[in-house]
Amino acid sequence: MQKVLLWIPQLLGGARNTIIITIISVGIGIVLSLFLALGKMSKHKLISKPCSAYIFFFRGTPLLMQIYFIYYGLPQINPALTIKSAFNAALLAFTLNTAAYLAEDIRAGVQSIDAGQFEAARTLGMSYWQMMRLVIIPQTIRRVIPPVGNEFIMALKDVSLVSIIGLSDLTKVTRQISSSQATAMVYIPAMIIYLIITAVFTAIFRQVEKKNSAY
Amino acid sequence: MSIIRTENLCKNFGELHVLKGVNLTVEKGEVVVIIGASGGGKSTFLRSLNNLETITAGSIYFEDKLFVRAENGKVLEEMPKKEKKEALLKMGMVFQRFNLFPNMTVKDNVMSAPVHVKKIPKAQAEETAMELLKRVGLADKADEYPSRLSGGQQQRVAIARSLAMSPDIMLFDEPTSALDPELVGEVLNVMKGLAKDGMTMICVTHEMGFAREVADKVVFMGEGKILEEGAPDEIFNHPKTKQAQQFLGSIL
Repeated sequence: MQKVLLWIPQLLGGARNTIIITIISVGIGIVLSLFLALGKMSKHKLISKPCSAYIFFFRGTPLLMQIYFIYYGLPQINPALTIKSAFNAALLAFTLNTAAYLAEDIRAGVQSIDAGQFEAARTLGMSYWQMMRLVIIPQTIRRVIPPVGNEFIMALKDVSLVSIIGLSDLTKVTRQISSSQATAMVYIPAMIIYLIITAVFTAIFRQVEKKNSAY
Repeated sequence: MSIIRTENLCKNFGELHVLKGVNLTVEKGEVVVIIGASGGGKSTFLRSLNNLETITAGSIYFEDKLFVRAENGKVLEEMPKKEKKEALLKMGMVFQRFNLFPNMTVKDNVMSAPVHVKKIPKAQAEETAMELLKRVGLADKADEYPSRLSGGQQQRVAIARSLAMSPDIMLFDEPTSALDPELVGEVLNVMKGLAKDGMTMICVTHEMGFAREVADKVVFMGEGKILEEGAPDEIFNHPKTKQAQQFLGSIL
């Protein structure tokens, strides 16, 4: 039992990394995903094709490979592409990856909006960007909160993959303690910590959902 | 000067020929009501006028200037982009499903386009919006969200929203078809008021009473064409074509 008390600070240190990486990468990823989604839906092939290709690539290859390749592979292609910090490389990989998945959620959100909204905006003379900014995106945000919350919760667990580029997160710390002290018991407090984190963020997203059901 | 004139307007959706050569002239200040059986192309025709549908063939003239001319699905000639934009701004539309923006209050719905599209100063747009809302009887609902309003109220707000852009012509696409019967009257009253004030209107509707009362011209469409056209009295009391007689017989 004493051991558990010693484990907790280390586990929490790892958890801190887990949470930070998730928040930053989903936070930036969402902004990127909005542009990707709009880009994919664009009439101009010069914009829609690259966006579709991006989404296809990052959803079609394992996140594990993306992390590894960004950190180890890019410098081998061109030294100028080196990302010195493993933390930054992880952030980049997660951001790019999350953006691809969220883009599809946002696209679904926009396409679920009644065609009449677009038509009304058009007949009132709004430009594409005015229509998006004033009418469509505000309505999309509301629809997209559940899928985004879901992606966030999944990302919290996906962060465990950063151990392959030497970063510390909750899972890595757990495995270190487990092997150095030859005990699998450390997994129990670790899983409990994961559950608590998940519960907290689930509750946060539920609140955000509630607040946005104003109309 | 005619506000809108169409010549041989045709519209195909793939293999389906919905409009097969519609010729219609609408003069300034005229109230034209388009009636006909479902599927006859009435809404499609209306939506072709303000570019919600692109025409397959034929021409549309706006204020006697060529708006667009097409053949075989290709545009042969059209108004320069800037002029076209200005022309479209002069056409307002009211939809069957209202299409109010649910993320904005009633007042913002009415103000939004004048402020952002016409760059009218906010205070002035707000004043105009309140006047229009008063005109349609909904000034007290200015700060409500559309979801709190009944269908009839939403439609009246939609009319105010269109009017806020000071259109020269209003297009109504079955404005009361989605309303409960007891709410139809309040919307028709607003429309009658508009007609009496001299607004040029083209209405696709099944409300024959409205047509009788305010229409200058009733157009009966069927099979993708105008089958009969004339003053309300002529059309309703002395329909000439068999299709018109059948249609009116079944609904009057």
